[in-house]
Amino acid sequence: MAVTTKIVEKMDELPPASSLALYVDVNSYFDSLRALVDIFATKNDLYVFYISSTIPSRNIVGIFELLGIDTARVFFVDTISHLMPVEKEMSDKFLYIESPTMLENVMLKVEYLLRKYRNKKTLVILDSVNSMAIHNDLKILSEFLHIFVTTLRSWEAYMVILSLQEQTTPEIRNMLNFVTDDSLEVGGVSQ
Amino acid sequence: MASQTRERCMTGIEGLDYILNGGIPRGNTVLITGSCGTGKTTLSLEFLVHGALWGERSMYISVTEAPEKLVENMIIYEFFDRKLITEKKMILVDLQEIYVKLGLEKLEFTLEDVNVLVSQIVKMVKELDVKRLVIDSITSICYRLTSKEQIREFILHLGKELSDLGCTTFLVSELLPSAQGYSQYGVEEAIADGIILLGNMERRGDLLRTLQVIKMRGTTHSRAKYVLDLTSIGVLLAPLLKGGSVEVR
Repeated sequence: MAVTTKIVEKMDELPPASSLALYVDVNSYFDSLRALVDIFATKNDLYVFYISSTIPSRNIVGIFELLGIDTARVFFVDTISHLMPVEKEMSDKFLYIESPTMLENVMLKVEYLLRKYRNKKTLVILDSVNSMAIHNDLKILSEFLHIFVTTLRSWEAYMVILSLQEQTTPEIRNMLNFVTDDSLEVGGVSQ
Repeated sequence: MASQTRERCMTGIEGLDYILNGGIPRGNTVLITGSCGTGKTTLSLEFLVHGALWGERSMYISVTEAPEKLVENMIIYEFFDRKLITEKKMILVDLQEIYVKLGLEKLEFTLEDVNVLVSQIVKMVKELDVKRLVIDSITSICYRLTSKEQIREFILHLGKELSDLGCTTFLVSELLPSAQGYSQYGVEEAIADGIILLGNMERRGDLLRTLQVIKMRGTTHSRAKYVLDLTSIGVLLAPLLKGGSVEVR
C-alpha cells in the first residue's frame, strides 16, 4: 500500500483530539507530509500548525511548493531559523522561537494560533521529535510532550509527532508510546 | 454549612483566571511585582481593557507613561477599541496632574499629604464608579514617603477605601533584579491581599518570562510558576517545565 494511502487511512480511523506517533524513513518523509498536509487536512478542512525543528519553515514552504501542496492554511512555529542566518518573515504565518529548547514557547505559540483561529479544526504536526531530542534532555521533552498532547486534546486538535526511523532510539519510542494514542510505521522496517 | 465564595473579578487573562480558580476576589488589592521588562504594565493594561469591554469602568493612574503612549501600547491588542477611551469606559490619568492639582509637587510627603492623595484617588473612583484600578507604579509614590509606617498607612488606607467601593486594584511594584522579597520596601507585600510575581528565568541560556501567584486572599490558587507570552491576543500562559531553571528576576 502506498505511504500516503496508509497514513490517510490511519488518520481517518482516529477521532479528533487524537495523537499519533508517525515513524517514517527518509524515503517516505515527503510522501508523509503530502498525506498529512495535502490530502488529510484538505479533505477534513483542517488548519495545519506545523512545528519545524528539523528544517527551517521557509525551506518547508519551498518543498511544499515543489510538491504542489497549497500552503494557504499552513502556519509555522519555527524553532530552528533563529539559530541560522536565514531571512525571516514576521507574520502569523511564521512564528519564530529563539531555540528548540524553549519548549514552553512552542506550547504558547501553538496556543496563540489555536486561539486566533479557534473556529477552525486543526492538525498540529511536530517535525520532528528526533531533532527536538538533539536539543533537549529526554526527561524535559517527555514532560513537554505529555502536557502538550493533553492540551491539544482539550482543543480537539489532531496531533502527529514525526519520528525518523533511522534516528528513533528505544527511549524515544518508549516516550512516544507513553504520550500518544496510537502509532504508525511507514516505509523501512516495522518494529 | 454552605460554603461562601467571594464574587470574582475575572482578569480576562484566561490562564490567570484559571490559576486563580475563577479570578481575583472582588475588592482585593493586588501587588503586581517584578523587575523591568517582565510584563507588569502589559498585564495590568489587559486587565483594565477586559474590564472596560465587560462594562466595568477602569482607570489607570500612571506615574511614568504619558496617556498617549499607553494608548499606543494598547492598540496592538486585537480586542482593544479606542472607543473605550473616548467613551470614558477606560480612563487614563497622569499622576503628575493630580500632584499639581493637590499642590503635592514635592519630593517628600507628610502623613497629611498621603491622606490627601488617598482621598483624591478614592474620590475619583467613587465619582466615576471605577471598578478596576491600576496604579503604575506604587513604588514611585512610596519613594516620596519617608518611613515604612507611612507606606503601610498609605497602602492600608487606600486598599480599605477601594475595597469598600468594590474596586479591584492592581498596585504595580518595581523590583530590582537583585532584590530579595516581593517589593521594594518590604511593606507593600505584607499589606496587599495578593501578590503576582513576574520575573525572568534562565534555563541553559534561554530567558523565559514567568508568572507566579504568591498569595491571593479569598481564593485557593495555584502557586506554580508559569511561562508567559505577550501576544496581540493578550497574555498567554503555559506551565513551566521542570528543567533545572535558574531564577534571574
